[in-house]
Amino acid sequence: MSNKDTAIAVNKTPKKLSQQIYVFGALIVIYIFFCIFGRNFFGYETFLNILNASNYIGFAAIGVTFIIITGGIDLSIGTVEMCTAMIGAVCFRKLGLPFWLSIAIVLIAGGLFGLFNGTLVARLKLPPFIATLGTMMIAIGISSIISNVQTLQYPARTEADGWFKDVFSVLQLDNGINIPTGSIMLLTVLLVSHVLLTKTKFGRYVFAIGSNEEAARLSGVNVTFWKTSAYVFSGFCTALAGLSYASTYTTILPGSGSGNELDAIAACYIGGTSTTGGSGTVFGTIIGVFIMSCMRIGLPSMNLQPHYQKLLTGIVVIVAVLMDISQQKKKG
Amino acid sequence: MKMKRILSTLALTLALSVVLTACATTTTETTKAAATTKAAEVTEAVVETTAAAGETTKAIPTDIYIPVVSKGLQHQFWQTVKKGADDAAAKYGITITFEGPASESEIAAQVTMLDSAIAKKPNAICLAALSTDAVMDQLNACLDAGIPVIGFDSGVPGAPEGSIYANASTDNKAAGALAATSMFPAITEKVAAATVDAPVRIAVISQDATSESVGNRTVGFLEEMVKLVNGAGIADVAIIGHDKYANGVEESAAAVVIDVGISATTAATDIASAVSALLNKEPVAIYASNEGAANGILDASNEGADLGEIVAVGFDAGVRQKTAVVAGYFIGSITQDPYNIGFQAVELAYKAIIGEAVADVDTGAKFYTAANIMDKDIVDLVYD
Repeated sequence: MSNKDTAIAVNKTPKKLSQQIYVFGALIVIYIFFCIFGRNFFGYETFLNILNASNYIGFAAIGVTFIIITGGIDLSIGTVEMCTAMIGAVCFRKLGLPFWLSIAIVLIAGGLFGLFNGTLVARLKLPPFIATLGTMMIAIGISSIISNVQTLQYPARTEADGWFKDVFSVLQLDNGINIPTGSIMLLTVLLVSHVLLTKTKFGRYVFAIGSNEEAARLSGVNVTFWKTSAYVFSGFCTALAGLSYASTYTTILPGSGSGNELDAIAACYIGGTSTTGGSGTVFGTIIGVFIMSCMRIGLPSMNLQPHYQKLLTGIVVIVAVLMDISQQKKKG
Repeated sequence: MKMKRILSTLALTLALSVVLTACATTTTETTKAAATTKAAEVTEAVVETTAAAGETTKAIPTDIYIPVVSKGLQHQFWQTVKKGADDAAAKYGITITFEGPASESEIAAQVTMLDSAIAKKPNAICLAALSTDAVMDQLNACLDAGIPVIGFDSGVPGAPEGSIYANASTDNKAAGALAATSMFPAITEKVAAATVDAPVRIAVISQDATSESVGNRTVGFLEEMVKLVNGAGIADVAIIGHDKYANGVEESAAAVVIDVGISATTAATDIASAVSALLNKEPVAIYASNEGAANGILDASNEGADLGEIVAVGFDAGVRQKTAVVAGYFIGSITQDPYNIGFQAVELAYKAIIGEAVADVDTGAKFYTAANIMDKDIVDLVYD
């Protein structure tokens, strides 16, 4: 046990810190840029909008960070997110289950999707890209089938289960102040994930598998189990993302969600998670998420169409990974 | 080493600012153009005020700004709406921005746009909501802040009481009914001759079962068509296909079968396969409830050439559909008045801002054919 841990502790390097600082600096620069040039960008209302647009990507991005650190990839998180949200909506609207139970089912469904991916990748040795590509399509199919290709709604604020929005999105106080409860939840999950990743056996093994799977196996790590666990954890996070989406946007479209995974994965890379696995932080990932949301909200404030956000995010991803590579070279 | 890092950070910032400035330049130009018009209007206004010296006038806010949040930009339809909105803005000397998500299924993107629009503290907002439920909080925020919201296109059905001042939209049910009455003369003979043993099929293709406007166009068509078929002496009509529209009559017990096909997604390929499935059952006629669905018919029928005897009626316009109408593959299509929708929306918003009473405007629908497509009252409505 102690042997294993010391062997693995070598991978706990602080080198990612510098990348995080640059990316955080970039976020501040972008925010200030929009404050100067955007119309009414600086203020609590806009800040809240940025938080709200970040939540659902944030949960999924935290989860997929674990998977990318193991050296895998998960293409299914976008559609699984919407599929689990749809499962909850069907339970609540069509089957008439109590709302709290529907939420529990959403989380379980997310875990099961993760278990499915994990089994395919870790036990059956499918390449992660292909396994999760399949799951991505399966999720689209399931959400279309169970909803009978109908749009479904989560409870509105005025409905009996309106507390859902108070808890997962924004709590509107009577004095007009809005509390971003969704972001507080994201922060909680972020901190828990950080502890999981850096202070527990689970986290150490995730890094170990990502740096050198064979070495981890030889030093006695149950690679299959811990890798599967990473996918299950990501599945839970994805389900949380689905609930977060549902609370902010209410309406769930059948078969939707393609593209969300790319935002989450891009956030990981912007935040300095290594493309080959073995290193990364959840804080970097969240900064990556905020860079994207900041541009999504900021560009319209300059009267620019949000498609520019995609263009700019693309540039940011490439530049961030280039910086990462050049640093690795220097270190090596 | 450090130098290199600083350089790369600089490069990132530079790349960002270059792109942003490039984009910003175009925007500034439009704003300037608007400002010039505004200046001219203001001068006029000053002249008027001088003429009416002594009389007090309601304070009209200067520097009026109205964000127009549409459902998309990808179809020509929205470009024509934008043209109408721009013209109304120029007429009243106000600044507008016209934005929409990249596709009509991107609800989250539209909500984000609306959030940004509200944060800009506009004088009014024009909105074509993809989903009213998704924007409830935003509408309530507008209501609290006293920002008038004008619905356009399909509007904002089910919005909180008092938040929507007026709508500029097509009566979609009436437009769907117009499609049925326009189609019926071409199939009356075949329908009248239909029996349970030799039934006649009429196909309907919709790109989704969720959009209110597409839904109403389908319902309007179905109701009117059933009435017309009954009027021709056929009582046994079955509506089959999607549960939402089915009337419960067994297909085997009907002389006229109306088959409603819904595409799996709004992607062109899915619509085309849904159309193929409908056409394989050899209907006498087919009706498409929007531009996407009409293009689906064209995709599945070699641009309409393979339709043969099938009587096709489309909806909206666009180059491909217009070509099919002119070539006679479609007997005609229904057009809304997108220009008028955009123009009326901005005009209603302006009136709401200056405190005039506003009421819903039906922006109308017309049936166009190869014969009348060049007529003066049609040609401007059928966008490319």
